[in-house]
Amino acid sequence: MEIFGIWIAAFLTLCIYSFLYKDNPFYRFAEHLFVGMSVGYGIVLSVHQGFIPFAWEPFWAAVKPFWPGVPREAGWSGLWKLIPIGVGLLFFSGVSPRHTWLIRYPTAILIGFGAGLSIPNVLRANIFEQTRGTVEPFASVHAGTLSGWGIFEAVLMVAGVICTLTYFFFSVEHRGPLKWISKVGIAFLMIGFGSAFGNTVMGRVALLIQRVDFLINDWIGTIF
Amino acid sequence: MKRQVPLVLCFLFGVVMCFTQFSPHSFSQSIYDEVVYWALIMSPFALAVGTITLIQTHVIRIRRRTEHWQYSFVVFAGLLTMVAIGLPFGPQHPAFAWLFNNVQVPLDATMFSLLAFLIASAAFRAFRARTFEASLLLISAMIVLIGNVPVGDLIWNTVLSWLPWDNGASEARQWILGNPNLSARRGIILGVSLGVISQAIRLILGIERSYIGGGD
Amino acid sequence: MLSKLMNLDRRVIFIFVALAVIIPTLLPLNLPINVSEPTQRIYDYIDALPAGSTIMISFDYGPSSLPELNPMAKAVLRHCFDKDVRVIGMTLYAFAPTLADTLITEVAEEADAVNGEDYVFLGFRPGGEQVMLRMGISIGSVFEKDYTNTPLTEISMMKDITNYDQIDLILDLASGSTTDLWITYVNGKYNQQIAAGVTGVIVSNMYPYLQTKQLVGLMPGYLGASEYEKLIGVPEKGTQGINNASPVHVLILGLVIIGNIVFFIQRRREE
Repeated sequence: MEIFGIWIAAFLTLCIYSFLYKDNPFYRFAEHLFVGMSVGYGIVLSVHQGFIPFAWEPFWAAVKPFWPGVPREAGWSGLWKLIPIGVGLLFFSGVSPRHTWLIRYPTAILIGFGAGLSIPNVLRANIFEQTRGTVEPFASVHAGTLSGWGIFEAVLMVAGVICTLTYFFFSVEHRGPLKWISKVGIAFLMIGFGSAFGNTVMGRVALLIQRVDFLINDWIGTIF
Repeated sequence: MKRQVPLVLCFLFGVVMCFTQFSPHSFSQSIYDEVVYWALIMSPFALAVGTITLIQTHVIRIRRRTEHWQYSFVVFAGLLTMVAIGLPFGPQHPAFAWLFNNVQVPLDATMFSLLAFLIASAAFRAFRARTFEASLLLISAMIVLIGNVPVGDLIWNTVLSWLPWDNGASEARQWILGNPNLSARRGIILGVSLGVISQAIRLILGIERSYIGGGD
Repeated sequence: MLSKLMNLDRRVIFIFVALAVIIPTLLPLNLPINVSEPTQRIYDYIDALPAGSTIMISFDYGPSSLPELNPMAKAVLRHCFDKDVRVIGMTLYAFAPTLADTLITEVAEEADAVNGEDYVFLGFRPGGEQVMLRMGISIGSVFEKDYTNTPLTEISMMKDITNYDQIDLILDLASGSTTDLWITYVNGKYNQQIAAGVTGVIVSNMYPYLQTKQLVGLMPGYLGASEYEKLIGVPEKGTQGINNASPVHVLILGLVIIGNIVFFIQRRREE
């Protein structure tokens, strides 16, 4: 079964790589199979690791006391949990064009939740902490514990952050000194994007190496 | 009912979530716990939206016989196979894991590995030092690219062995990432975070209501 | 000649790329690897944990990032089991459970680690930040059972673990935006120590968090995996991969340089 699996995987790998020559039915078959299996996997995981523990089990726990023959120990408090389950079920209203608007209710709750949640947390983690990180090295400058090169890096960091933020400041037209500051900001951004490109290449090459390693060592290894 | 209730719900949940986090009082914390629990219960349902849309798209493709419509059957075959095994027996079942490891993993990994070829081709054709800014992007990309692999330091230590410092390729990569890249990313984080907060306030106050969509 | 070079069929480049990967796979390189500071910081942190400490690993990646993140996960798991640090595995990414479960089981078998005592894999729960926040109140309220459906109350290592207060480090192995969420909602709200191992695509985004120490450390893609393997003294897929990646990186560098030389010659001629 293991060798059969390796052959299936090798066949599908080659189907995808055939696209490098040109688009063809083998590639399209593999591409559509990938979409179908991914969605199927997603459904199974969502049901077993999402719906069952978060919706079905609380639902059953809530209604069980009212089931004929079951002693009423839990009382009414569990019914409270039926409200979010009911609201969550409205996500399925998308299947009926007449009732699609009902999807607004759970969407509004989750958006409100996310918005309210983000205000204090984003402020703390991304604004206060990042601002602290920008000015903190100057405490070392003041204390005299930072070398000349360290001072240069601290100044470079502050300059970079201010110039980048200036570039994103669209409320005022970028003219005069502002234009030059934002140009320096662009330079910093370009260096940042360049480094992202260099790292992205590493990521994509890693995938290719793993597939070639599989084909040569695992698949061809089963033949010879 | 169709527009006002969602706006009220968004406002209520937004305000409750925001303010309960500032108050350590037990009443406030119990409300916070309950709201987080509500959102948690609702989250798996949100996953259904994408699945429904995908199924609808492929049903329409088959009905209308659009180009390559036959492949939509392959989508359903893959989907139903996974569901038929996974739903009754669970994701821990060996057959389900076998399908995942031998079909989905190679498909997914290979699909994304195509980008390695495309990046190489694009780098050759389009990565040009046309302007000062493009030159900065290019130079930084090349330093990080070569600094990411051990051959970078090998070349440096061999070709530039007369320089007073070793492992210059990986050191230069680390310096770029930890200094100019850090400043640029921090600028982006600060800018995006301010945007997120202002958008959150607009959503809670009902100024931004695009999620409701058009119509009644 | 020059325009011919510039209009080269892209499939020729594809063949060069394929050769640059196939040749080192057949004839492996073994170049020295230097450990960068962000990876060293994670190693040092875990190495300093006393036996019996607990780290949580969030496997937030799927098959498309497996070659970069699986070797990292393997190296860290080996380090933890070797140090008798207990591991709680979980994921916020729907496509990760099978991968993560297979990997943890494999490494645990190698290290004679016992499920339920030395490690536990909780599986997947949808909801992202909701899951993170709720675990801050009680892990058991999010994961009532582990991946194999054993109730958490019956798992011995979970008996003294309620929430983040009993966890010494969260390591997020991520291919998406989950690290930002862990930092924003768990480091920010619960002061929990977070470390990350991320794919090459998002490495650059993480550096501001490293400087502020919102991240204890960072493993950058394949490179991070190879560095951690060097630190624990078990060179494996990460080390092999980063060595094999060297020729492709040099090839891409060469292609860019050739492309630019031709571009400048053509521009000078036009002028």
